[in-house]
Amino acid sequence: MIYKVISKHEFRKFIDALVRSNTSFGPRRVDTDSNAEPVYQFQPVTSVEDVAFDYSVTKSSAKHFFLPFREELSRFDIRDGEWEQKINYNSDPVVVIGLRACDISALNILDDVLLNGHFPSPYYLARRKNTFVIGFDHLPMADCFCKSMNHHTVPTGFNLFCSDIGEDYYLAINSSKAFNFLKEFETREPEYEDNCRLVERRKEVSNGFKTHIDVTGLPAILDIEFDSPVWEKWGAKCLNCGTCAMVCPTCYCYSVDDSFDTDMKGASRQKRLYSCNLVDFAVVAGGHNFRPKNGDRLKYRYYHQHRGFAENANQQICVGCNRCGRACLAGINPKDVINDLRMEKESCMKCVSSSPDKR
Amino acid sequence: MKQKGFTFEKLKFASFDFTCCEGCQLQLANRESTLPDFLGLLDIRNFREISSERHDDYDIAFVEGSISRSDEVTRLQAIRKQAKILVAFGTCACFGGVNSLKNRFAEGQPAAEVYPGMQVESLPVRKISDVVTVDFSIPGCPVAKEEVERIVVSLVTGSLIALPKYPVCMECKARLNTCLFDLGEICLGPITRAGCDAVCTTGKTACLGCRGPAEDINMPAFLELVKERGLKEEDLREKLAFHNAFEAVAANET
Amino acid sequence: MHEVRFVIPRQEINREDFASSAPDFNRRSEVMNTDRGFKCSITNIVRLTGQEKLFQLRIIDPTERSLFRFKPGQFLMLELPGYGEVPISISSSNSNHEFLELCIRKAGHVTTALFTIEEGAQVAIRGPFGSSFPMDEMAGSNVLLIAGGLGIAPLRAPLFWINEHRDRFGDVNVLYGAKVPSQLLFTYQFDEWKMINHINLHTIVERAEEGWTGRTGMITDLFEDISIDMKKTWAIVCGPPVMFKVVCSHLDRLGMPMNRMFVSLERRMHCGMGKCCRCMVGSTFTCVDGPVFDYWSVMNLKEAI
Repeated sequence: MIYKVISKHEFRKFIDALVRSNTSFGPRRVDTDSNAEPVYQFQPVTSVEDVAFDYSVTKSSAKHFFLPFREELSRFDIRDGEWEQKINYNSDPVVVIGLRACDISALNILDDVLLNGHFPSPYYLARRKNTFVIGFDHLPMADCFCKSMNHHTVPTGFNLFCSDIGEDYYLAINSSKAFNFLKEFETREPEYEDNCRLVERRKEVSNGFKTHIDVTGLPAILDIEFDSPVWEKWGAKCLNCGTCAMVCPTCYCYSVDDSFDTDMKGASRQKRLYSCNLVDFAVVAGGHNFRPKNGDRLKYRYYHQHRGFAENANQQICVGCNRCGRACLAGINPKDVINDLRMEKESCMKCVSSSPDKR
Repeated sequence: MKQKGFTFEKLKFASFDFTCCEGCQLQLANRESTLPDFLGLLDIRNFREISSERHDDYDIAFVEGSISRSDEVTRLQAIRKQAKILVAFGTCACFGGVNSLKNRFAEGQPAAEVYPGMQVESLPVRKISDVVTVDFSIPGCPVAKEEVERIVVSLVTGSLIALPKYPVCMECKARLNTCLFDLGEICLGPITRAGCDAVCTTGKTACLGCRGPAEDINMPAFLELVKERGLKEEDLREKLAFHNAFEAVAANET
Repeated sequence: MHEVRFVIPRQEINREDFASSAPDFNRRSEVMNTDRGFKCSITNIVRLTGQEKLFQLRIIDPTERSLFRFKPGQFLMLELPGYGEVPISISSSNSNHEFLELCIRKAGHVTTALFTIEEGAQVAIRGPFGSSFPMDEMAGSNVLLIAGGLGIAPLRAPLFWINEHRDRFGDVNVLYGAKVPSQLLFTYQFDEWKMINHINLHTIVERAEEGWTGRTGMITDLFEDISIDMKKTWAIVCGPPVMFKVVCSHLDRLGMPMNRMFVSLERRMHCGMGKCCRCMVGSTFTCVDGPVFDYWSVMNLKEAI
């Protein structure tokens, strides 16, 4: 890692040069919601003017640059009654600007899950290698809880990470590509004062969290509370719409379906990001549904997010961005669900306080 | 058309319309890039939007529109007799559609108002499955051509046809739309069956549920959501009733 | 604004590089084949019942054929281009390197399409995936194989193994139950198993049909017919979840240790590689950690049965 300091003005010139010559995406204001708050999404940007440097948070994560919502896994060319399978997983380079520390942590988690197992995914690898990631730090929103998940800072997984230290950005340069590009611009070595400002900024970020979730021992609690009434309570609210998984930066579960082309000269196998909250997630041929109830499916999402699966060394994959909580129309959010679970467990163990489902 | 081990035959196809705007049938002639390939799958026996020939030896009948006259009942029954597979095509055929708004008024009143002084036969609007057995439904106002193409290909290849079981939100989120509830509107997206690629909500128009309820929807939670956001119940009722698609669900709730 | 232009170079991912950097494929260091299928031609189709057919497949490419090795209990993803992919357990002997046999029930839309194809059709297979029955550990002991309905399909591979290494095993009992006699599969092999391989085969049906002279009742009734030393016996149980729950608790009562009972689980699968998460049971993947589990692990999995 190489550290540099760049003035905000010069940095804008750098970003402009970068986005003008590459397919780039960055946070853009797309709407104003009914509370007069701006709504941001990662959208295509073609000049520095398009980039909302002061954005709060995007509604949807940057996951789809690496795991598209829909992606062709392979094609079958059918000719003279025979077929040939064709696979293309290579992808074109893109620049993604403005990821938060938690978003980059999410990518590191996805790397773990999708590249380290017995069956690494070439599709993901191609996109990950061809994406130039520029991170920005930010002051937490009132409902961010990434500090609880220990993802409010990120040591790796980006090309360039910018910390806002007033007039300048303090750059962490993590790739030779980024280093070479920056040579063309006026940067300087960090001085004692810059380091102090960086420490100040980090303190400010770290102390800015208003939402805390106690995740200690959560995997064990999830195991113990597998049949907890808490799931039924929150399941009753769940609309089964899958929004939480779509906006989540780490939800990677998917569905695969095949279809013939209309001309019948080919067939395509496509992957679609799916959500464990959808009704038919665990339906097998013949129609049996292993998870017929809302609560069962919701539980699985929390199980996956906060307990982790064996393939991921049982690591929690939630980074604490709370996008699911913000997007959920039914008002289901990790903070309340986990607090409920914890209370449920404590009430059971002490047999004193009442269980939350009886409220 | 042949793939080793398989033989595919063209579908002996017919398309009919009842009380409707014929917009769904027009969709069949849409999406020009694949139109020749699409028509290549069909042996069109009877389809007035596309061909002047009329034959009665079809296997598959797409039926558009709802039923609002007694002669329509007779015609539909004849189609049912001939067709091996009868497909309710479009929202009017599947649920009654916009036409069913008429059912809210006293019998005869709408006709008297629209055609004053004329004798017009007009029965309460019914969906196709109220009159004859329907083998398969393709909802949508209008239907999504891409989905229809996929279904027709499935019919040709003999694969099972399934509409998405999940709601529109999935597709809407994939298009990075701002949730219409966040913009202060009631949108039926969370309870409506997907498959339309969220066209309306992408155009910032609330979903009116033309594709009918998704599988296993959580209606109490949806009503709670509307109430909790302080949105008008009247507006919700209007939207639910718009295509008559939530009739069954609403009846269960009250 | 600024004249300097930087274009990020496109990085190609090379399959071979990727394969060498990756850990072993399914616990073996051969060709990486996570997304590309081996092309197979269907060489024979046997109609077993109205609902089940036995497909014989041959991998067309000789190199691929020689690379394809599996262990009893493993499954593969069978792809019918345009229709989809289904997880199917391999029902043939793993010493048969020429042909693969898959016993398939018409259940979903892919299998329904498979029922319409003729010999000569081309399909693709990916795999093999998943865990296998510990045949080597079982050597020297008695074996009890219990199948309900289509459960005989995953049992055939270990049964072939036992037949081929018959001298390594003590008493071999097969208990096989079905709803009605006409649903009993592989009846044409019963005599061979009994006479040539000295396997004690016991069958039972829930409902008798005309001509049935065998036993009627539940599969657990067959335990009355056999006497084996549970302490020296390993069991493999395949069938619907209700059945193996009943059978395994019965075996438990008879004194068989739970870690010697093996079951094969069924779940929805889309990848076979622990990526799509459709087959999760508790925090375990049926496709990578399973489908074969010992009953002790199954008892410890949430939602397994």
